[in-house]
Amino acid sequence: MKKRHLPLAILATAALGLSACSAGSSGSSGDGETLNVWIMQGTNAESEDFFERAGEAFTERTGATLNVEMVQWADAHDRFVTAIAGGTTPDVAETGSTWTAEFAESGALAPIGDYVSEAGLDGKLVEGLLEPGKLDDTLYGMPWYAGVRSMVYRTDLFDAAGIAVPTSWDEFRDAALALKESNPEIIPFPVAGDAENLTYPWVWGNGGEVATQSGDTWTSGLDSKEARDGIQFYTDLALKDGASTTGATTWKETDILDNFAQGKVGMAMMGSWTPSAILEKNPELEGKIGSFAIPGPEGGYSPSMLGGSHLSMFESSENKDLAWEFIDLMTTGDFAAEWATQSGYFPGETSALEATVADADEITQAFADQMVDAGAYLPVTPRFGAVQAKKTTNTMIQSILSGEKTVEQATADAASEMTSILNEK
Amino acid sequence: MTTTVKSPAASGSTSSPAGAGGPRRRKRAAAAASRPWLLLAPALIVLAALLLWPLIRVLMFSFQDYGLRQIVSGDTNFIGAGNYSEALSDRQLWTVVLPNTVAFAVAAVFCTVVLGTLVALLMSNLGKFWRTVVGSAIMVAWAMPAVTGTYVWVWIFDADNGIVNQLLMGAGLMDEPFNWFTNRWTFYLIVLINVVHHGFPFVAITVLAGLLGVSKEMLEAAAMDGAGAFRRFFQITFPSLRQVFTVVIILSTIWDFKVFGQVYLMPGGSGTNRSVLNLGVWSYVESFGQNRYGFGSAIAVLLTLVLLAVTIVYIRVLMKEEEL
Repeated sequence: MKKRHLPLAILATAALGLSACSAGSSGSSGDGETLNVWIMQGTNAESEDFFERAGEAFTERTGATLNVEMVQWADAHDRFVTAIAGGTTPDVAETGSTWTAEFAESGALAPIGDYVSEAGLDGKLVEGLLEPGKLDDTLYGMPWYAGVRSMVYRTDLFDAAGIAVPTSWDEFRDAALALKESNPEIIPFPVAGDAENLTYPWVWGNGGEVATQSGDTWTSGLDSKEARDGIQFYTDLALKDGASTTGATTWKETDILDNFAQGKVGMAMMGSWTPSAILEKNPELEGKIGSFAIPGPEGGYSPSMLGGSHLSMFESSENKDLAWEFIDLMTTGDFAAEWATQSGYFPGETSALEATVADADEITQAFADQMVDAGAYLPVTPRFGAVQAKKTTNTMIQSILSGEKTVEQATADAASEMTSILNEK
Repeated sequence: MTTTVKSPAASGSTSSPAGAGGPRRRKRAAAAASRPWLLLAPALIVLAALLLWPLIRVLMFSFQDYGLRQIVSGDTNFIGAGNYSEALSDRQLWTVVLPNTVAFAVAAVFCTVVLGTLVALLMSNLGKFWRTVVGSAIMVAWAMPAVTGTYVWVWIFDADNGIVNQLLMGAGLMDEPFNWFTNRWTFYLIVLINVVHHGFPFVAITVLAGLLGVSKEMLEAAAMDGAGAFRRFFQITFPSLRQVFTVVIILSTIWDFKVFGQVYLMPGGSGTNRSVLNLGVWSYVESFGQNRYGFGSAIAVLLTLVLLAVTIVYIRVLMKEEEL
């Protein structure tokens, strides 16, 4: 499982965004038909206008009408399950990258590998988003967009205290301590106890693994020496160095965002989609925030988790060729690039990603570096959803931060729980 | 119930003209007997479709390993009592989940009923104007959605910006902020405040309605004979309100046993802090969070049986004493 890192070579060989036309309108005349699509709400503030134009382009291309329904993230999972049970699934839906394997395993999704090959897209999709879309080497989720978590920091505080952007873990710790000294009233670096995705970079960065597969058996690597040392460093920032607060023990990622937007945080691990949200909540921070990729222990980067969405085709769809036409329209070419730019995410097609990276502003640049050089994904198995539902990793971090368990105990408990859940059938 | 409905109809048929023949009269009696059922039929059919069928489905799911795959395929997958034995043999259920749930329910029911009764007694002694004012005030607490109420309490006890920590630190009682949500006892103290605050208005209003029906003469007579306020309450008011208290206590028990949102929405309450798991959150995390609908149904059946047992015990204890 060393294949977590995204091969940059693919970027270099990526063709121009011509693939949009490759599938053509040959096989799928959709005159008079309607394609039902579910899209998650809140990703793109201009989605209404976007889908109006996408609908026109879709009708022009296929003759069919596009019917887009916006769904809230919070109740989307339940709605999918209800729709599957009642046989009222849409033709195409946006599925969170951690859900795709789960829905695919249940038999609700249609395989799309052949369509991708036919469209000439093999090897042209961002791997960190492609892999989570697969189940047993069959592709079910078409990479659409992705974001990544890196460090966001207050440039004004760094400048005032003369702190340079850290490039190793030791420098990172020094930066947090220097921030604490120069600005006692802010939280230098919150260590959140209810945010598992912010824990994994410290495991991966130190050479550890969340879980590895050999044959049919999964083994959690959270109790390895590398993982333990990484988690020790991360939690010691709170427990020994006092860079965090006692409140952060129960924080989620959204709490970090809120507190950062209120100007109470010096630096924090946040998603590439958050800077615009921070400025929207607090315009006073304009020009005062920057970003850097999560440093590695001795330089380089620590890998960080990609979060994103696939477009998936449902097995119940009556016109799969038509459904693919829509997926192709959304995930390649102009519409893919536009969606990414508007929403602050990165497109799932490598050529479009390359274009976005080239045009990136200063804040986006660090996220782009993280995404291209040190993007990672969680163990690809439908069972990992159960690990997340049980909050195995969150429990581990929170019990360390609250002083209930030592790093050794907590990692041993989490590893044995994760291993047993992953191997349940 | 049927007999009371039948009797006037039956007496009506006997007073019908004697000229009616035997078989015809029997037919008419049968028609009269079935008429109430005919009238009830639409409601009963709707109830059966809406209540009974889902209950049967839940019971059937509870004997299956029922996940997303079964939902898609529509197949059944019976595994006998596997879900039940798995649920009952879970160590966490007995060491953390049940103690939390039961202890919390006992404390919450006690506090809700006591506070609600005190408020009702206060209100019954107030004039019309002030009774309306107090009534409106507690209605606001009742009308507040549980989710909103929970967030308000979370905000009050927030470690960094919460008013409780700021007051305690301002008064010099604490040097550093304390995270109230990481400790099992303080966590449930907050849940208790939240649930009691949300639940006591119902008790207060219901008990007040009963209080207004308690005979004033008896209370006056007792006061004349020298009975104190406590004695008057426990020997006159409480016995005449026994049925009201039965209902209030049973409903509160059922509600407080099933508390979910008020725990799930608290920091660490959604499963991250294992020491504060209660039955609602535990069953959600173990079943629906992992798409194990069969396991979740088994837990729901068990919970129903437990609550039925509790209700029967309450009714027997409270009603029997009344008969004596």
